[in-house]
Amino acid sequence: MSVTRRDVLERLAATTEPSGRTTTVAALAATLDADEAIVAAHVDALVACELACRHDDGTARVTVTGDELLALDIEGAVVVVDCLEADST
Amino acid sequence: MSDSDPTPVQYDPEASRYDVLECTGCDNVVLALGRDDPPMTCHGEPMERVSDPEMRVKPPDVRQVLLDAFGLPKAGLDICLCVIGEGPLSANEVAETLGYDRSTVTRYLNELVDLGLLRRSELNREAGGIVNVYHSVDLERMRRETLVGFYVWAGEAATLIEEANLTKRDYLRENHERDLPDVFWDRFPDE
Repeated sequence: MSVTRRDVLERLAATTEPSGRTTTVAALAATLDADEAIVAAHVDALVACELACRHDDGTARVTVTGDELLALDIEGAVVVVDCLEADST
Repeated sequence: MSDSDPTPVQYDPEASRYDVLECTGCDNVVLALGRDDPPMTCHGEPMERVSDPEMRVKPPDVRQVLLDAFGLPKAGLDICLCVIGEGPLSANEVAETLGYDRSTVTRYLNELVDLGLLRRSELNREAGGIVNVYHSVDLERMRRETLVGFYVWAGEAATLIEEANLTKRDYLRENHERDLPDVFWDRFPDE
């Protein structure tokens, strides 16, 4: 079964330590036993949603928003993140 | 009705996926969808399927039904179907996938929240401010909500039909000084 975007977010959150230590896409892909390109695409999408951020050295970490999203008690699995209001303020 | 209109349909008690039931003792008529076990009763007696339908109706189109009942045009339905996939998605991603403006996506996401098909949560944005997150209600709950919502709409529509019938009956009994069309449309003015 292919890795989902939520799988990547959950693993990213699990591997991001409170100190802010980040992980690489390659390490994420290895722990998920998934194709690195697919994981990289999911990380890019999570960055676009502001649920993750990526550093110049290629490492990534979960954001506060991503952590809060995972903590939500969501009935369905669907999530659309809209930063429009935040962008306009 | 033009040549391009779809073929009218008529209730078939044996083949329809729903039942139209009536009470043999009063004018109660009900629509039943799903199992009829135990059978619906009225005045303590099982209701009977309507067996002699005569009127044909125009078959409903799902786009028009959703628009009329929920005020949800195709764009809203597209967005609803798109988000019932694998998330998280950004609103930009939804917009690019469907070919709609970002503002259109945001507008319909909020309308879907108003309809009760999606929920909205506000999360803190790392750079400051908030991020709106839209997530679905449980799909089984969505099924129930849309069916009940449609039944409410159908009940309102049935009430209008009944009022129209009563208006005609009352006219025949009482009012011959004005033409029926005037009386009728006075009762149902344009919004």
